[in-house]
Amino acid sequence: MLELRDVTFSYEDAGPTLKDVDLLLPDGELHLVCGRTGSGKSTLLGLFNGLVPHFTGGLLDGDVLVDGSSIVGTPPRELAHLVGYVPQDPAAGFVSDVVEDELAYGMEQLGLDPQTMRRRVEETLDLLGIADLRRRSPRTLSGGQQQRVAIGAVLTMHPRMLVLDEPTSALDPTAAEDVLATVARLVADVGLGVVVAEHRMERVVPFADRLVVVEHGHVRAGEPADVLRDSPVAPPLVELGRLAGWDPLPLTVRDARRRSAPLRERIGPAPVRGPRRPVGAPVLRADGVCVDYRRHRAVDSVDLTVRSGEVVALMGRNGSGKSSLLWALQGGVRRAAGRVAVGPDALDPAGLAPVAARAQVGLVPQTASDLLYLESVDDECAAADAHTDGADGRCRALLDRLAPGIDGDQHPRDLSEGQRLSLVLAIVLTAAPRLLLLDEPTRGLDYSAKTQLADILHAQAAEGRGVVVSTHDVEFVALVADAVVVMAEGEVVSAGDVGKVLAESPAFAPQTAKVLGPGWLTVADVAGASS
Amino acid sequence: MTSRLTPRSALVLGVASLAGLVMFLWPLFVQPAAGATRVDQPFIFMALLPIVVLVVVAELTEGGMDAKALAMLGVLTAVNAALRPLGAGTAGIETVFFVLVLAGRVFGPGFGYVLGCTSLFASALLTSGVGPWLPFQMMCAAWIGLGAGLLPRRVTGRAEVAMLVVYAVVAAYAFGMLMNLSSWPFQLGIAVPGSDQTLQLVPGDPVGENLHRFLLYNLLTSTWGWDTGRAITNALLVGLLGPAVLTTLRRAARRARYGEPAVEVADR
Amino acid sequence: MLAVVGAVVSVVVVARRGDAPWALSYRFYVYFALFVVVLRVVYRIVLGGGAVEGETVLIHLPEIPLPEVARGIQLLGDVTAVSLLGALYDGMRLAAIILCVGAANSLANPRRLLAAVPPAFYEVGTAVVVSLSVFPQLAESVQRVRRARRLRGDAGRGVRSLRRVVVPVLEDALERSMTLAAGMDARGYGRTGGATAAQRLVTGGLMLGGLGALCVGAYAYLDGTAPRVLAGPVLVVGVLLAAAALRSAGRRVRRTRYRPDRWRPAEVLTALCGVVVAVGVDRAFDLDPYVVVPDLGSWPTVSLPVLLVVLVGVLPAVLTPPPATDVAGPSSHDPSDRDPSDHDEGEVPRARAA
Repeated sequence: MLELRDVTFSYEDAGPTLKDVDLLLPDGELHLVCGRTGSGKSTLLGLFNGLVPHFTGGLLDGDVLVDGSSIVGTPPRELAHLVGYVPQDPAAGFVSDVVEDELAYGMEQLGLDPQTMRRRVEETLDLLGIADLRRRSPRTLSGGQQQRVAIGAVLTMHPRMLVLDEPTSALDPTAAEDVLATVARLVADVGLGVVVAEHRMERVVPFADRLVVVEHGHVRAGEPADVLRDSPVAPPLVELGRLAGWDPLPLTVRDARRRSAPLRERIGPAPVRGPRRPVGAPVLRADGVCVDYRRHRAVDSVDLTVRSGEVVALMGRNGSGKSSLLWALQGGVRRAAGRVAVGPDALDPAGLAPVAARAQVGLVPQTASDLLYLESVDDECAAADAHTDGADGRCRALLDRLAPGIDGDQHPRDLSEGQRLSLVLAIVLTAAPRLLLLDEPTRGLDYSAKTQLADILHAQAAEGRGVVVSTHDVEFVALVADAVVVMAEGEVVSAGDVGKVLAESPAFAPQTAKVLGPGWLTVADVAGASS
Repeated sequence: MTSRLTPRSALVLGVASLAGLVMFLWPLFVQPAAGATRVDQPFIFMALLPIVVLVVVAELTEGGMDAKALAMLGVLTAVNAALRPLGAGTAGIETVFFVLVLAGRVFGPGFGYVLGCTSLFASALLTSGVGPWLPFQMMCAAWIGLGAGLLPRRVTGRAEVAMLVVYAVVAAYAFGMLMNLSSWPFQLGIAVPGSDQTLQLVPGDPVGENLHRFLLYNLLTSTWGWDTGRAITNALLVGLLGPAVLTTLRRAARRARYGEPAVEVADR
Repeated sequence: MLAVVGAVVSVVVVARRGDAPWALSYRFYVYFALFVVVLRVVYRIVLGGGAVEGETVLIHLPEIPLPEVARGIQLLGDVTAVSLLGALYDGMRLAAIILCVGAANSLANPRRLLAAVPPAFYEVGTAVVVSLSVFPQLAESVQRVRRARRLRGDAGRGVRSLRRVVVPVLEDALERSMTLAAGMDARGYGRTGGATAAQRLVTGGLMLGGLGALCVGAYAYLDGTAPRVLAGPVLVVGVLLAAAALRSAGRRVRRTRYRPDRWRPAEVLTALCGVVVAVGVDRAFDLDPYVVVPDLGSWPTVSLPVLLVVLVGVLPAVLTPPPATDVAGPSSHDPSDRDPSDHDEGEVPRARAA
């Protein structure tokens, strides 16, 4: 059981991040913590095991209790047996290079005897269904497997509570489903209390017993259906429920579907989707693109055409070749075969010098911060202008449009996730490329930031650019894309209009489509039809 | 581990460095017993030096090591180990001291010492370069890290970078010379009655004579090749990348907040 | 004799190595050992030296005169059989050590060695483990950043453009180290009561005493005129004190080990073989020095007892279970990739005695 009593917390030289928080999280339930980006979710999570303030610094006032005893001033290590904490990127937290040793690590620190350790390792391997991975190196596992190993590594210490920071943010829909099912089983069978912070609420809400909303430093908790009524962030399903005036709000797709008959009657048949904006001549023609990594073919004969004014979403499991394809189109990764032609002159960016290639194809990589190497935002902008002819101040102007109000003296690494993405996007757009590629840009963004990003991409397309976005985020695709290409094992398995492709695949259907049937992609579609 | 050495750690470090120096410089001082038929000092020292290195490492981490310092040590060790093979074999380009010097400067002498040891050890494990020379290399690298941490704190800005460049050059030559000194008796043999050779160690000769011979050996074999290459690369790297890397490391050090508790709890 | 040592080590390696990367590195050590021998002989020829009247001269080379600064150097000159043989034997002695260490390196799993470090080095051992596991990520990070450079239209080369790779990689690595630290702390790393003031005092005293004894012993050992009591015995005392200090320093770590490596009969046997060889050769030296350090004038001899003693070293190759090569890798919990290393640790002093 976790309890916060009248807690106020502030980082140095800043107003309070959390104000007068009273919160009680009982065992045996799954608590979902949600809120806008930067609202203090991670701070709240860190308080439960002492990482805040021990690792972050800052001023804590009030009392934090675990199972009734105060833990204020206790460092995280002394709480390891009470609260199991799994950080956002599990791969960065692995200590050893064998799964089994990783599971045993925490117990070694507790000083448990070898028999107990052996027994708990076996139990945990079975409980999480990772027994066949026991001798593998955790770093070679897939994202979902890594997440489960990381959960197992804290479970072996038999904590009373499990705290997970964005456990599914890097996972594709299927892997996320697996991890959440495992977590739900821990709650149901073991009676563990679990606290999950997650931006993609649509994934977790069906499993949650209680919802904790963090907003402007204040915290509210309660039954999901009650709290969601006016929460600042809500999954599309809830938005739909609010629109239709359902009470109580639906939390699962099945629930919503049962009640959707009147709404369906009112809005009529699904709209025939025209193009969002006029599309022009193709800016990208790729034929038979292949990419090899050592003996393994990452991309296998992919054909792709992107027209100016079009936003294409690239979907598929982790490791299906999306990133490799984007890099091959940009020319940063060598193609084993195939042709790439960009723009009216049919230039191949792989054959161009970097400066010229940049004017044809811009790419925002998955770890956007790889591009940043200077000490202030202004320096980065100046460097971007210097690499482009006659672009004085263009980068800063773009940045102000994308994310207004960033202090130019700030260190780029101190920016928030969304601000940093905007900075990198501005740097890339300084060269005014014909084709804009983005690799997983929605990590760590909340619903409104995603909507904002979608608007930015629409604006880019409207200026005549072709845009390709690779992402796992089905709801974002529904929001942004005109066409969808689904990849598996390096090959294109389906491609076409966004409505058609998303409706065809059960794994990729957005919530609105699941409730109202194919053709309805976003809540905005429904709002347009019902007004 | 803190960025400052406790008096006790400093004492242990001092005595250990003395012992280490003896084990490097023995060829210059050795006085054979009358009628000795074999000289096995080098082999004994090969076994003893690791003990000296280990005792100091144990002392520096004796108070227990904070998770942040440990993670920082691990990651910087990996960086150094990764830098090492970059230069191996190509005309004496040796990049390993560059991060070591800068990290020693930012995180202090104790950290520098341990980082020197772990860097060489990890890179030996990764490149399968474990050999009898490893303890000597570890000791030398540890001294370099330690020395970087002991440089005057007050120097900042351009002067600081200039100071570090000079230090890197000195360290590069000193490293080469000490490593040569440790291998000299092996490469050229030790004079025993009956096998006579020029340039080799003659036990019992005056220090000056042996030193002269050694310096010639050093000059002939490596000063112009590897040592100079190493000095130039390190000086260039420290001079050009130093400011940026120092900023990066200092940012990290601020976040990690060595030595002092990062906790403030308001009175309740 | 030294050649026999080399052969024995090689047989053990070939018979009992796994197929992990470090196991394949023995070849490198063999080359390096050969290189050392050749280098030693070449130095002897180039730097020439003191041909004594009446010895067999193999090659006549002109002696090159050098200025006064280089006094003591003699370039080229007559090469005699004795001086060549001397160089050869010296080179082989070093080569034998390299082979022994190389064998230990190629037979032992470095990660398991790290898992077996005494508690006093728990922190540093963990740091090395962390660095070994961060290493591949670092390579990946460098690759990513190099690729990303292209996105900024940056084709620059040279040291200046290195900054564009070094800074993001370093930032990335340091950020990761903070995440890792948080993760480790949250999982209980470092939750030890710490040592009492008295314990720390004992540890410090032992350390200083040990180091001091080592210093004195080493100096006395070098100075042949110092009393012998100060040499060997003081060195031994120094080593013992240092060991006690490490033990004492290790007591603060309260931690258990999952699936610790245990000494099984095979391991004990191998270690024993190594000790037998080392002690045997040392005895042999006292009885008949010329077996170990051959007389330069005559054909090297090998006495039967010494040969037998050295051949004991081959036993582990036959008596220990072969490594399970199919699972060789960091995960292998197979005893045989540990025991030969113990064996070779025994062999190093043997070569030292030789």
